[in-house]
Amino acid sequence: MTALLDIAGLSVNFPVAGGLFDALVPGRTRYIDVLDGISLSLKSGETLGLVGESGSGKTTLARAILGLSPISAGTITFNGAELRTRQSFTNMRRSSAMMFQDPVASLSPRMSVGALLTEPFIIHGVAMQNRKVKAEELLSRVGLSKDMASRYPHELSGGQARRVGVARALALHPKLVIADEPTAGLDVSVQGEILNLMTELKTIMGLSYLIITHNLAMVRHVSDRIAVMYLGRLIEVGPTREVFRQPLHPYAKSLIASEPQPDPRKRRADLAIKGEIPSVLNRPRGCEFHTRCSIAQERCRRDAPQLREIGIDRIVRCHFA
Amino acid sequence: MSEALLRVENLSIGYDAGIGQIQALRAANLEAHGGEVIGIVGESGCGKSTLAAALINLLAPNAHVNSGAIYYKGTDILTMDTEGRRHLRGPEIAMVFQDPMTTFNPVLTMGDQLVDFQHHIDGVSNAEKRKRAGQLLARVGIPDPDLCLTRYPHELSGGMRQRASIAAALLMTPNVLVADEPTTALDVTMEAQIIHLLRELRTDYQGAIIVVTHHLGVVAELCDRVYVMYAGQVVEQGLVDDIYHAPQHPYTRALIACDPAHFEEHTPILPTIAGRVPSLLHPPVGCSFADRCDLATSRCREMAPPWVRISETQYALCHEARP
Repeated sequence: MTALLDIAGLSVNFPVAGGLFDALVPGRTRYIDVLDGISLSLKSGETLGLVGESGSGKTTLARAILGLSPISAGTITFNGAELRTRQSFTNMRRSSAMMFQDPVASLSPRMSVGALLTEPFIIHGVAMQNRKVKAEELLSRVGLSKDMASRYPHELSGGQARRVGVARALALHPKLVIADEPTAGLDVSVQGEILNLMTELKTIMGLSYLIITHNLAMVRHVSDRIAVMYLGRLIEVGPTREVFRQPLHPYAKSLIASEPQPDPRKRRADLAIKGEIPSVLNRPRGCEFHTRCSIAQERCRRDAPQLREIGIDRIVRCHFA
Repeated sequence: MSEALLRVENLSIGYDAGIGQIQALRAANLEAHGGEVIGIVGESGCGKSTLAAALINLLAPNAHVNSGAIYYKGTDILTMDTEGRRHLRGPEIAMVFQDPMTTFNPVLTMGDQLVDFQHHIDGVSNAEKRKRAGQLLARVGIPDPDLCLTRYPHELSGGMRQRASIAAALLMTPNVLVADEPTTALDVTMEAQIIHLLRELRTDYQGAIIVVTHHLGVVAELCDRVYVMYAGQVVEQGLVDDIYHAPQHPYTRALIACDPAHFEEHTPILPTIAGRVPSLLHPPVGCSFADRCDLATSRCREMAPPWVRISETQYALCHEARP
């Protein structure tokens, strides 16, 4: 299988607002690396889960892939063609779609559901025969009734708004769907419905998913491979089953152990991970996780570990893996 | 068991919605004892937030108490006047809200606000109150409490703000601490830390802690006793172990089965609960869960289910439940 999406050495940096002097003198502007040297690939038909805490750069990565954040280094190849120009990203967005985090906020409050669903056709200049018929077809695909087309976003429940988000993402038959926290804010029973719908549509339409989330329980069931990010860098990538069975990086290990277990007999006595994610403005020296790591040694404070390949299809950034 | 610190009796609350009254809470009963951690769990719209708001008498203006009472130390807090309520909130019953960002005033420093939280304490200087605030911030695990006191809310991370709001609630030395979705806005690592903190607090705090959440994992990790709510009713109550290992109400069983954290291995199709929550504008005559229940018979649709005593600690609102 060839890679549908291939990211190599991708970095994104944002300028830090300095004083007037910094702004006027060239070369004085400081940048912070929000993403640093990300290399990932997504095969056609695969679901990749991207996990990490808030501030680890997950959403920035999704935005960079779609050309919504300027790239400072590295390349993105989609469907065999490298994305560089604005036009190439526009073309790419024609065959890929994003499901944004907040389902209600990502739908324009002044457009009816029918208009929202057919908007992608107008944006990308794709012909459709009848707007109404098209909207109804998309609604039935995600299990909503036809009369939803005349409703407005504020009249939808969280689960319904999510379904509209899915329908809108799938309107143009994309190859790749990037879903940013697809189940955030939903009840457990509705979470299952949305994930089952996404799985079903994946098989029918031959989609590939990039799912961004911090819900590990969910990503475990839907993704084939997972990539764990910390401070804008990948720290572990591998097949989901393997990573959950035996996480190699101490951060991945403690992230998995932090997930609350729905069983009072399995209460944990102590914390898997202490402290907070440091700021990208002030990255720790050496291994960036050493400030919170339980097995950190002198070497970790000094040398930054590189991503290493371990076993088949698994990479990890730790001295001791 | 000793006399309950807080007792909710047969409480029904509706919201006026123009087209009628939405029966958000129907005949709910709840008891909280000192030193206990109570969990109220259910999905959106089940009435758990209405119950939490009623516990500190902070109901919306269009809410209407149809029946019942909430007894705190023998007094019904729902009949209190404004002055009485003002004395109640904070020093007696305090609340930790879901969104730690909106808990604090954005234009005042943390120190100023934490001093203000202690307004009811007489005969203590502001410097003394500030010192106490610093000590509590340290207690809830804020690394540099003195620096934190000089900060504005936006300068703290979400986890730190939630710690600070727990500290703020504890500064008022309440007897009952109500936490409404205290970890929902946080990352899994912060969530684990807040759960850990609340668990530590219960050991050195004599009051009752009531945690309202939709997250079954949080309840399992933290609570002693659980109330499961559905469509405005408490459908099951029991010790946390009963609820997770011997659930009696079909809704409790379905809810636990839905939690993806429950499965160790990859499952392509996740279980869901078919159907929808009934409209609370006209709640069903029979069991609210009947339309979604596998065990439902015609009796369930026609007759309101009984409150069945399963054991000394466990009860379920179901026709099919057996002791």
